[in-house]
Amino acid sequence: MKKGLIVFSTLIALASGAATADAVKQTKAKFDDKFRQLDEVLPTANVYRNAAGEPGHEYWQQKVDYKIKVALNEAKRSITASETVSYQNNSPDTLKYLWLQLDQNKFKRDSMAEKTTAFAGIGRRGPATRAANGNTPAKLSFSELRRQQFMDDHELGYEIRNVVDGRGRPLNFVIVGTNMRIDLASPLAPGDSTEFSLDFAFNMVDENTVSARGGYEHFPDDAREGGNDIFLLAQWFPRLHAYTDYEAWTNKEFLGRGEFTLEFGNYEVEMTVPADHIVSSTGVLQNPNQVLTREQRNRLDEARTAERPVFIVTAEEALENEREGTDEIKTWRFAAENVRDFAWATSRKFMWDAKGYNQGGDVQPFVMAMSFYPKEGGDLWKKYSTEAVVHTMEVYGRFSFDYPYPVSQSVNGPVGGMEYPMITFNGPRTTLNDDGSRTYSQAEKRYLIGVVIHEVGHNYFPMIVNSDERQWTWMDEGLNSYLDGVAGREWDPTIPWGVEPRDITGYMKSQRQVPIMTQSDSIWRIGPNAYTKPAAALNILRETILGRELFDFAFKEYANRWRFKRPTPSDFFRTMEEASGVDLDWFWRGWFYSTDHVDISLDRVYKLRLDTEDPDIDYARLREAEEDKPVSLFVERNKAEGKRLWVELNPDVTDFYDENDRFTVTNKERNKYRSFMAKLEDWERDVLTRAVEEDKNYYVLDFSNKGGLVMPIILQMTFADGTTEDLHIPAEIWRRTPDAVKKLIVTDKEVTQIVVDPYWETADVDVENNHYPRRIIPSRVEAFKDPSSSGLVRRDIMQDSKVKLKTPGDDDN
Amino acid sequence: MPGALFRVWLLVTALLVGALTPSATAHQQKAAITKVLFNPRTGNIEVMHRFYLHDAEHAVRHIFGRKADIIGSKETQQQFADYVSERFALSADGVSPLPLAPVGFEIERRFFWVYQETPMQDGIEELTFRHDALRDLWPEQINTINVEGIGDIRTATLEGSIEVASVTLDTPKN
Repeated sequence: MKKGLIVFSTLIALASGAATADAVKQTKAKFDDKFRQLDEVLPTANVYRNAAGEPGHEYWQQKVDYKIKVALNEAKRSITASETVSYQNNSPDTLKYLWLQLDQNKFKRDSMAEKTTAFAGIGRRGPATRAANGNTPAKLSFSELRRQQFMDDHELGYEIRNVVDGRGRPLNFVIVGTNMRIDLASPLAPGDSTEFSLDFAFNMVDENTVSARGGYEHFPDDAREGGNDIFLLAQWFPRLHAYTDYEAWTNKEFLGRGEFTLEFGNYEVEMTVPADHIVSSTGVLQNPNQVLTREQRNRLDEARTAERPVFIVTAEEALENEREGTDEIKTWRFAAENVRDFAWATSRKFMWDAKGYNQGGDVQPFVMAMSFYPKEGGDLWKKYSTEAVVHTMEVYGRFSFDYPYPVSQSVNGPVGGMEYPMITFNGPRTTLNDDGSRTYSQAEKRYLIGVVIHEVGHNYFPMIVNSDERQWTWMDEGLNSYLDGVAGREWDPTIPWGVEPRDITGYMKSQRQVPIMTQSDSIWRIGPNAYTKPAAALNILRETILGRELFDFAFKEYANRWRFKRPTPSDFFRTMEEASGVDLDWFWRGWFYSTDHVDISLDRVYKLRLDTEDPDIDYARLREAEEDKPVSLFVERNKAEGKRLWVELNPDVTDFYDENDRFTVTNKERNKYRSFMAKLEDWERDVLTRAVEEDKNYYVLDFSNKGGLVMPIILQMTFADGTTEDLHIPAEIWRRTPDAVKKLIVTDKEVTQIVVDPYWETADVDVENNHYPRRIIPSRVEAFKDPSSSGLVRRDIMQDSKVKLKTPGDDDN
Repeated sequence: MPGALFRVWLLVTALLVGALTPSATAHQQKAAITKVLFNPRTGNIEVMHRFYLHDAEHAVRHIFGRKADIIGSKETQQQFADYVSERFALSADGVSPLPLAPVGFEIERRFFWVYQETPMQDGIEELTFRHDALRDLWPEQINTINVEGIGDIRTATLEGSIEVASVTLDTPKN
């Protein structure tokens, strides 16, 4: 034994390996560097976006202002409009042309979206088809037939006319699918602005037939002859594509899924609609005296300070409007500042409630929260919609920034859930019962509160923190799903809101998935990919990796850095790292750039004991260990058969070795020990002496990483006396050997059990291999069948709660 | 029906499609995940379907009528479990579907679970699935099946046009 080394009784070597790709290659031995910094992957920092993830010192973005006059033809369900656009070129580039988004062109029969919808293919929103298969004939749903008939019967997409510059001179333009290029009369130099105008018209789609983000919903059963409609105008006007420092024109064809990014600017919009319509819109109403009654204006004043929402249009008044109809028209004027889009809704069916929210602060001390809904939304909306709008601003404000606009609205129409600046479309409805009453289920209530929080939350991401959903869906959907879970749990934690890490394990271990960092149109299974997995990842980052204080600081820093600006994924990754002071490249690599999952297995635990080198201690322990071994079966059976041994039959013949075994200590060993101790340095002797006195328990834990995703190892140790202790080992333990790792644990007390990830906080997909000693984790079927464990789960509390409390004297049955 | 290349699809009532679109909301996921577990402890292939309660809530009212209540009514829960069982089939090596016995159903937080099982068979090399639950209601519905407990996890995804999907297993050869 070498001097100065403390030797343990057991030692094991290990090996690991995996290959890595990319520009830098591991070409000898196998090693997958899970902690490789993202430098080669992230774009090089520059003057527009710096290495901290902040807007750079020469950050720029364009500014686009719109003036639009639009008229609704209710009978034809069509829109005619003209718009004047002022384009401010803040980029360092000279622009010869401008690109616009024509999202309505997606509905043209010859659009790329329509033409590339595979028959019976995956991924399109809307009605289904099925291909023939074996003996099964091809199938076409009624809905698909209805959709096709609708597309046949209606001329869809934009009609664009009269594209002229500021002086009325015609401009050349080319329409390329859902994009339009306008060639400028003269190149637009950096710092200059230009103006152009155009007329446009389109027939709206029946939202329930076509599945869109806007359109009309028809109510044929209303009292008015011919029924009524709700019109949702979204992605409705030719909008400038963003021109950016990282992608130039973001003119990727709209295929229906990846939404959009746009430029910030100011809007003045005039909508001419039937005089009995109520309009809800992005922006602030400019002519209330002309479109609202004195009574309605008074009610709006009253709402500013009300405890609960005040009706501006009551249920009775809306019902009256529904019955009547009118040939008169009215023009509503709205103005919005510094918004990246503009949407509106109009119907005579709307009731309207409002409640002031005193946000405080300097940005926007007062916000009016409002909801618009037909009787079909009814009592559910009256109670919860506007309140949920206010709640969202309260919570999101704490985690990001003050809501910066004067109004925030929730509108009930045919769209399940969609967001625009200051206005959101939300789908929940009540159910009409046979007796004419309207009720709603608990699930519908949760849906309303949840969807309003989610869509109003989108005002922060991406309507203000202006990420590009057409490229990176997760940047708004993932961040917003994380935050709507925070807001939901602050509403009522008994409702199962948010994403628990355990919810995503089934998806993460499945073979069919793509990395989160995948362009929106190419994603498989968008729900878990762009919403649930990134939300779970952020939850884990907050609760397990960084802790709430660091995470909340960094997240708020990101939100404020990019408020009214245009972040990319690298800006998020860099900010979270830079502001928290924690290297997270491994986390982004694992969760966002790969399809690895978490499965850490505790394979073995070795108990070690320190050799004291004192023969009087060590030899006795060795003897004890020998005696603990089972006796030879051969010898046992001889004894059982009553065999008498030679030594038993001849007790008079003995010698030295009958009294001393091989563990007997002699002075030779003692002298060697003294010599060993004498040769030790003083500090070495002190260390050994103390360790011998303390006689701690040493355990070596063997972990393997079966899922590939490196994560912290969270341990719970149970001791012989029943107490427990938790231990958090940072993910960096895997940095040199990502497939397997060992950890020495030293404890005062004897350990009886070790569990990895005891609180299910890391999304570990297999909890059975987290236990040592192994514990059988029953499958859900086993657990369900086990009468002892499922008693509480199987209780039907909702039904049982209807049972009346018995009073003494009641019959027992 | 040989030769029939085109037929109106009438599985539940197709006119219900599209009332709720999954544009920017995560609240109706329209995604279910099924774990098919070869469980050596029980000797069974256990099938555990997990649906979002919110998806199921909307589905039952479309399928079973306005009064259907997945949270409050045992009857609705049973109906939904039966509906799922009728639309899920599992065959081994291309032969007729394995008989799946119903085990039960339960609500757990945000999820509705449906359980089935069938005795394990030796030497299965390929499993083929049909899983039409909710897909006959919403075209966006994606049903994912993870096969576990026998070699590496295998995944079958049923979405869009895919009516049946197969996975090959790491079955030890005799």
